[in-house]
Amino acid sequence: MHISDGVLPTAVSVGGYAVSALILSWSVRQTRSDDLPKIAVVSAAFFVASLIHIPFGPTSVHLLIPGLVGALLGPSAFLAIGLGLVLQCLLFQFGGLTAIGANLLMMGLPALLAGWVFHHFKGQGKKQRILVGALCGGGATVLSALLLAVLLISGGEDFWGVVKLALAAHVPVVLIEAGVTAMIVSFLIKVKPEMLDTPFMDKKST
Amino acid sequence: MQQISLLWLLPVLLVPLVVYRGFRILLNIKADEVPQNERDWTVPQLEFTQGEGSPIHCWDVRFKLASFLFLSFMIVSLQQIQMAIVALLLALASYQLADIPWQRGGKRLLGMTGFLAMFLLMLPLTAVPQTGDQVFVFGQIEWLRFNMRGLDLAVLIILRASAVALLMEPMLATASLPETLAGLERMGVPPRLTQLLLISHRYLHLFVHEARRMQIGMEVRGFRKATNFATLRSVGNFIGMLFVRSFERTERVHAAMLARGYQGRWPQAVNFKARRADYSKALLVVSLGLLLVFCDQLLWQK
Repeated sequence: MHISDGVLPTAVSVGGYAVSALILSWSVRQTRSDDLPKIAVVSAAFFVASLIHIPFGPTSVHLLIPGLVGALLGPSAFLAIGLGLVLQCLLFQFGGLTAIGANLLMMGLPALLAGWVFHHFKGQGKKQRILVGALCGGGATVLSALLLAVLLISGGEDFWGVVKLALAAHVPVVLIEAGVTAMIVSFLIKVKPEMLDTPFMDKKST
Repeated sequence: MQQISLLWLLPVLLVPLVVYRGFRILLNIKADEVPQNERDWTVPQLEFTQGEGSPIHCWDVRFKLASFLFLSFMIVSLQQIQMAIVALLLALASYQLADIPWQRGGKRLLGMTGFLAMFLLMLPLTAVPQTGDQVFVFGQIEWLRFNMRGLDLAVLIILRASAVALLMEPMLATASLPETLAGLERMGVPPRLTQLLLISHRYLHLFVHEARRMQIGMEVRGFRKATNFATLRSVGNFIGMLFVRSFERTERVHAAMLARGYQGRWPQAVNFKARRADYSKALLVVSLGLLLVFCDQLLWQK
């Protein structure tokens, strides 16, 4: 769920810009220039994922894949998600211009965490990788839902009802995300396993 | 606390639904071209050449971006519905000025309807009652209360969001994306970011096309989405395949770019030169923003 303009208090949206700019500059510095094409691909895929709807009972949810972005890119995930969000805002108005900072924190921080978790616990076995992938996919979505709740609450206690509805709407998303991320990881293990071998921190890159 | 007829519950529930669903029909989005169960896959073109020569088109990109960004932040700080309406009208006036078709703005509003309908539904029903709030109770249902202050808050949020969303068109569609990005670069955004943004924007159209093609292929082979495990696996494989294909293609393109001497930037065709008109336009927009917030504060204190 992308936060649109006019919802957050101005101080929170400005603060969101400032904090995400700091993390973004760290993320850019961690990115090697060889990885640039990969980041462009993942940003574009992150964008396209929001167009893919999966039916869930009577409704349908669209994919978010922050966990997968983290697992594929490690520290550069924050950068890739930032690019994807800017493009979604510019082209579709998913997420507001003044809320890009807050949206980036909401999606980017879970992606970074998922990247770290995936790198440290993925092991070598196929089953373990798929399981950790599912955990990252579901966990990152849970975390971004919680961050969304925190950001909305900053507007005042009147927003509690909206927060409850938003959290409820995330339950099917978490399940679908966990499942799809596991499937994508299992597909990549079969077809292009080297894509999953991104180290979270590359010692050589400075 | 006033008691009103149970029938009032109907509009309370229906209006958000209309905002969510009906807006699409109002805009007359061509439904016959898109399958019913699928989203509209067309990615709008950011760039738009109609109306060239308007005051917004020939404004220096740097000044335009900075002033509109400032104006947007001022608009989201507004606290009074009257001033938010003025901001919305200002945004609409810029469409007239730059000769941008209304449909483009309408499509932008469409992107937010789901999120904003949530506020329109929940805020009036769940806003915490304070002294002086006008609260209605529906017939005998004691626990369901309609708070007018919540409705005002929801309307305010929708107005602010719409005003800023509408401003995006005159801000971005009046120059080409490379030009806008070059302007951002001159304003201090790292070149690596703007370059990546440009590359991702180009790939995105390619991917949407490719994804659509793969999806048609799946449908031709009898794939139908449903709530089951097989759908998850198929969609997972679909996205995985999209990743692998795009990644391999992108690596080849990147290698070709490097072989042709790409060093992290493209030759800049844009020359920036600020003229007096650029400054005065920026001054106008910035003071409009300040004026909005100033009037807003005056109204608030009353």
